[in-house]
Amino acid sequence: MRDRRMILFGLVRGAAAIAVALAVGAIFIFLSSKEPFTALRYLLIGPFLSFHGGEIAFNTQNFYQVLAAMIPTIFTGLAVCVMFSANQFNLAAEGCVLVGAFTGSLVGIYVNMVTGLHAVVCVLIAAAVCGLIMLIPSLLKVKLGASEMVTSLMLNFVLLYVVLHFLNYHFADRSKGATMTFPFLESSKIPSLVPGNSKLTWGFVIALIVAVVVWFFMYRTRWGYAIRMIGINESFSLYSGMNVGGTIVLSSVFGGVLAGMGGSIEVLGRFNTFQWRELPGYGWTGITIAILAKNNPAAVPLAAFFLAYLNKGCQLMATHSDVPSEMIDIIQATIFLFFAAEQFMSGFRQKLVVKTTREELKKMESVNVLEEESGHASTTV
Amino acid sequence: MEEQELVVRMEKISKVYPNGIAANRDVDFSVKKGEIHALIGENGAGKSTLMKILFGLEQPTDGNIYLNGEKVTLASPLVAISKGIGMVHQHFMLVPSLTVAENIVLGMAPKKSGIFIDNKEAVRLTREYSEKYNLHVDPDARVADIAVGMKQKVEILKALVRGARVLILDEPTAVLTTQETGELFQELKNLKEKGFTIIFISHKLKEIKELTDRITIMRSGLSVGVYETDSISEQEISRLMVGRDVVLKVSKTESVPAETVLTVNDLHYINEWDKKTLNGVSFAVRSGEIVGIAGVEGNGQRELVDILFGLKLPASGDARVSGQSLIGLPQARIRHLGVSYVPEDRMTFGVAQTASIQENVISDRYSRKEFNNGPLFNMKSLHKESDKLIVDYAVLCKSRSQEVGMLSGGNIQKVVVAREFSSDPILIIADQPTRGIDVGATELIRKRLVELARAGCAVLLVSADLNEVMELSDSLIVMYNGRIAGYFDDGKWDDVMMGEYMLGLKSQSDEEIRRACHA
Repeated sequence: MRDRRMILFGLVRGAAAIAVALAVGAIFIFLSSKEPFTALRYLLIGPFLSFHGGEIAFNTQNFYQVLAAMIPTIFTGLAVCVMFSANQFNLAAEGCVLVGAFTGSLVGIYVNMVTGLHAVVCVLIAAAVCGLIMLIPSLLKVKLGASEMVTSLMLNFVLLYVVLHFLNYHFADRSKGATMTFPFLESSKIPSLVPGNSKLTWGFVIALIVAVVVWFFMYRTRWGYAIRMIGINESFSLYSGMNVGGTIVLSSVFGGVLAGMGGSIEVLGRFNTFQWRELPGYGWTGITIAILAKNNPAAVPLAAFFLAYLNKGCQLMATHSDVPSEMIDIIQATIFLFFAAEQFMSGFRQKLVVKTTREELKKMESVNVLEEESGHASTTV
Repeated sequence: MEEQELVVRMEKISKVYPNGIAANRDVDFSVKKGEIHALIGENGAGKSTLMKILFGLEQPTDGNIYLNGEKVTLASPLVAISKGIGMVHQHFMLVPSLTVAENIVLGMAPKKSGIFIDNKEAVRLTREYSEKYNLHVDPDARVADIAVGMKQKVEILKALVRGARVLILDEPTAVLTTQETGELFQELKNLKEKGFTIIFISHKLKEIKELTDRITIMRSGLSVGVYETDSISEQEISRLMVGRDVVLKVSKTESVPAETVLTVNDLHYINEWDKKTLNGVSFAVRSGEIVGIAGVEGNGQRELVDILFGLKLPASGDARVSGQSLIGLPQARIRHLGVSYVPEDRMTFGVAQTASIQENVISDRYSRKEFNNGPLFNMKSLHKESDKLIVDYAVLCKSRSQEVGMLSGGNIQKVVVAREFSSDPILIIADQPTRGIDVGATELIRKRLVELARAGCAVLLVSADLNEVMELSDSLIVMYNGRIAGYFDDGKWDDVMMGEYMLGLKSQSDEEIRRACHA
């Protein structure tokens, strides 16, 4: 009884959060727009339907773009999932995406290799470097007790300026007006999955496969199990004899590996040179995704799709109506707020709990009465 | 006494926490003006919850609160304070880096020209109150530098300055030395004469007899009676407090102790308030026997068990299992030696609440070869293991994938016990293994403990439930004040006799106690 009620409660709560967020978004649209219905239409169904002179058709290119936008955020979402599962509020996925993209690019520019193998090596080296970087906040946490939230947040900026230093002074293509590297070798590029200009590459397939692998890691291996148990109750894990410190480091390193893969796959698939001059933001999106997915890797692609879809919807809305694209920040923030707010609908939850407990107590009492009646009150075992 | 008005009247208070634990069930509680009223009960009996409700820290699920006959809603401590309720918490709520006077006026500091804190006025206020109520403190001392007894006075003053007429003291003597306790009692009696009402939470019977006028006794979320302190004996109180309505009899054969498994040698422990909570404890547990440790809570049992399972380090002394010292070992190593532990605080140490039953029963063995196929879990053998444990320990659940936190208290404890008892231990430390759980689960756990002991396991049973230790133990250690007050191995004990040792009225000679070491 209790179980079913709580699962149902979780679903209702999630749907309610999204509904409230869209309603809040709609209020702002109605307040600020002269053509609210056009705006809403583009926001909600624009990403896969196009409207030309009253004719409605499936818009493949828009839809591919939505899928392409999921590639880096699936990786960062998974990275954050793994780290949050160990109850590590590690925010360095953001910096790792940047470093992963940069190191992947360098290997893609300066190392000669056969097509096929080259891209794989780029991604693996980027992943390894980012895994090593994550040793910094996790070892500081485990050995010295430094808050991983603070160290990883600051680490992002350290990484940004280290990358900018190397980009500006060592690897910039001086023949170009803007600061960028030399172009990637063709052999290192991630090939496109579909025709057209959507940037939907094989990276998308890899991201989905990695999501499955991460799910298996978290739910079907002893390391993932230890990570999850430590996240749920560290005292319990310690008492059970688990290596708590080592597992925390492992989760962070794995998070770094995933973020590094995401960064390198994104640049090698989407661009011809490396030219990021600020933090790309995929790490932050990864946090939103992990929270929406409740740290479950299997739900990460869905959450990534939801956000990519909303993003595209907002872009289209901004292009085709008078509503600015910043609207997405309002909607995202509202969803985030209601998902993260423990107290959202907690009154309703408390009522359910009280009701269930009362029922259980009543059932227990009636069992006790039965026992007493049949003379089992003083039982000999 | 009859004409005295009721300052506090709580009527049919119920409290269900979000995790489904019913901490209070239809509790009636009332306090007369100008009395010292004891609220007594085991840990988890619901007394702290009731007082948190009275101080506005928790909201009742049901029930009404009347202060001086007027119905009130105490939405927060601020409201409670404004209605004249003050609470002194067991763990002091003071800012160590501020002075005594600054702490006392914190949040209501007198201001100079509306901006700057008027320190002189704060000191004056502190002096005034401290003289008026005979609670002597140094207003300029830093809280970090003063003794525990002094901090408590600061806490009481803090409440008085805020206009409290009803003072709630949550186990105030737990951290005090004997002299400080005597001083505190004098001060409390003083306050009573000045017309203050005091609610005194404790489980030390002697103190309650000495200090209080009336007693409310709580057990498992219910109030089991209100008495004039003079009209009830310590024995009667202890019976009502720990007594069970159903006395469970466990049939057991004579124990045949074999080789020594656990030896504890002269353990000392000094807690964070510089109080000696373990003062030279030595004993041994042999395979095949159940050694029970009885005692009123807070007499060193907690520290002893924590040291044995590596959760605390002793000041001196040693504990060995099969010759290997446990001191400073990580839990994995301690478990590897064959030690199992049923923790008192099952929600913190015993289970991961939001994980499944399966995930909870494998937490000590998940990395064994038999449960892994290369890098992957062997789900089949994990399922088999957990299904077997669920059946063996009669865990009432829908399936192995049900969340542990959704089970009843008794079934959660069965999950813990299933894991701890099934790892082929040579020593089981069972700390309050049946506290707060239903009769069925209690029976099962006790029966399994006896079976394991008879099969050759050494069992150390720590329990505040006197019936339980007396019923299950082959030999019995009574702890009082960080020491062993008595050791009994003849099976001839009764609750009156135990009570005398538990409350420090009697104690054995060193020679008799040394027998516990079997050396």
